[in-house]
Amino acid sequence: MASHVSRRQILAAGAGLFAMLPFRAHAQSKTLVVATFPGTWNEAHRNLLAPYFKKRTGASVTQSIQLATEQLAKLEAAKGGRAPFDVAILDEPQVYDAAKQGLIDEYPVAKSPNFKDLFPAYQDKWGPKISLQVIGIGYNPKKIKTPPKSYDDLLNPAYKGRVGLTALNSQLGMAFLAELNRIKGGSETNFDPGFTALKALLPNVGAVAANLGAYATLWQQEQVDIAPYNFNFVQTLKAKGVPVEFVVPETGLVGWTTSLHLTRNAVEPDLAVAYIDSHLAADMQSEMEKPPYDIIPTNSKVPLSPAIVDTVARTPADLSKIRGFDWTKINPQRTALIERFNREIKL
Amino acid sequence: MRRGNSSPTLLPVSDEWPLALPLAALFVVCFVAPFFVLLALSLHADADMMTFSAAQYAKFFGDAFNLSILWSTLWLAVRATLVCLVFGYPIAWVCSRAPARWQSALVFVVVLPILTSVVVRTFAWIVILGREGVMNDVLRALRIVDEPVPLLFTETGVIAVLAQVQMPLMVLPLFATLSRIDPNLGDASAALGAGAWRTFFRVTLPLSAPGLVAGCILVFSACATAFVTQTLIGGARLVYMPLHIYQQAIGANNWPFAATISVVFTVAVMIVLYALNRAGRMSKAYGDDR
Repeated sequence: MASHVSRRQILAAGAGLFAMLPFRAHAQSKTLVVATFPGTWNEAHRNLLAPYFKKRTGASVTQSIQLATEQLAKLEAAKGGRAPFDVAILDEPQVYDAAKQGLIDEYPVAKSPNFKDLFPAYQDKWGPKISLQVIGIGYNPKKIKTPPKSYDDLLNPAYKGRVGLTALNSQLGMAFLAELNRIKGGSETNFDPGFTALKALLPNVGAVAANLGAYATLWQQEQVDIAPYNFNFVQTLKAKGVPVEFVVPETGLVGWTTSLHLTRNAVEPDLAVAYIDSHLAADMQSEMEKPPYDIIPTNSKVPLSPAIVDTVARTPADLSKIRGFDWTKINPQRTALIERFNREIKL
Repeated sequence: MRRGNSSPTLLPVSDEWPLALPLAALFVVCFVAPFFVLLALSLHADADMMTFSAAQYAKFFGDAFNLSILWSTLWLAVRATLVCLVFGYPIAWVCSRAPARWQSALVFVVVLPILTSVVVRTFAWIVILGREGVMNDVLRALRIVDEPVPLLFTETGVIAVLAQVQMPLMVLPLFATLSRIDPNLGDASAALGAGAWRTFFRVTLPLSAPGLVAGCILVFSACATAFVTQTLIGGARLVYMPLHIYQQAIGANNWPFAATISVVFTVAVMIVLYALNRAGRMSKAYGDDR
């Protein structure tokens, strides 16, 4: 039976009910609502970017900490009405979906003076790339004396119950599965080798964090001693005194770009662009690149920091050589992958 | 009940009923209406929501994976409720029989956990249950175990934390009913020759049934739907219904299926609550007959 009641209409009915509630009250001084990721990102954005932006515009920032997938779901739910936040922060895979679903606007380059300073590869029309996130292996040097060399080391029986993973709703989880799959001979269209490898790994896995925020706690509590992890998350934890080190596996780093976007029907579009542009400024990116955040810069005027040069890339040209995945091929399988992952790992 | 003739078995309908209207309106706007939106969502066949059908329900019930999640969620909540009951009943009893000046202090201690956010409490439990956590340190110091035992990311851990987090919901209603029981009834029972256990099972327990049922209803529904505790302590390998809904809605972006799981879950929880309520009435009737 076909019906003409669309997703939009049903949601509009729901949204209409919620519209009666004053969710976003306007204060006298302007406030910009921005999305940010848990971990390194919300700390850097709160401690560095928000004050910088306030000095530039006089407006204050309210953070909403959520993963990229969560942002898409919320924007989709609010479609047709006002956006629940004005700036979205997305990882590469979600950008394709957000653009396709009409959740973000094209970035108004003319209003963003710092945009032209980015390396050309990072000047995306849907929103500037603010950084590159790379994953390798994090390990606890107190517990593991020989630094791991490859992802195969996660299978070492000595690490029974010490290996950590995150669920596939985080980009860390998804990218690790894709990389494991690639190493074991799979491709973007065939994840069987990846799942076989995952199954072999499970006896060693002591924790699959359902929540990326909880993942950091597991390292702090030394519940997890070795696991795939983001370079800058490791750096941030290290600066807090958590015993954790980052190594680049023999198979190399895997990375993806992270970008900021102006959401469609944003309440404060001009402020949103000013906020995004602030993130692109050379002086801002130089600050963010310092420990404890170690956020890899995308502005061509910012030299790479010693920590980044040591571990990730000697030159900006090296950055562009970091392996990524064809997310346009993986995205359509996301639902199926999540479902398969849940079935395989369920106790 | 201003009118003296209203009988306690009938609903106390009086002129004050319009006072309930604001709450009823809020309930309709914030619960009933969204629930129907949810129901409508669940009746779509595909993620693009173009066709109406019951296909999502067929998918849910046709897959043992989903049913096992539903079952393990309900079973988890039952066990956590029982733990709350076993530990909460004595606490409520002690509170209700304590001297008045101690009573308020004891009740304050019981309520104390609610004053902290559930997220904070749950994170604290990660510190307690972790491999290098307080619990394992104590077990090792006492030489009960040599190697740390896994507590975090186990069902035992989830039950323990749920029981602690929801304990006030069990103790408070029990305390309220227990403190209304006339202490003379216990004395009378003893005077007539009943032992302490017999008095407990034949007098105290039936009389406290309303509080017991209320406590179980509150704790059961809170435990079954405790997304934060289940996911932080249980992790992603112990999938319960709230996490399943979250993953389908947010991770997989499959709203009709997420809505279906939600509807099924709501109905399942309501069935359990109805059964609890029935059991409570039966035990009340039992108490009244004596």
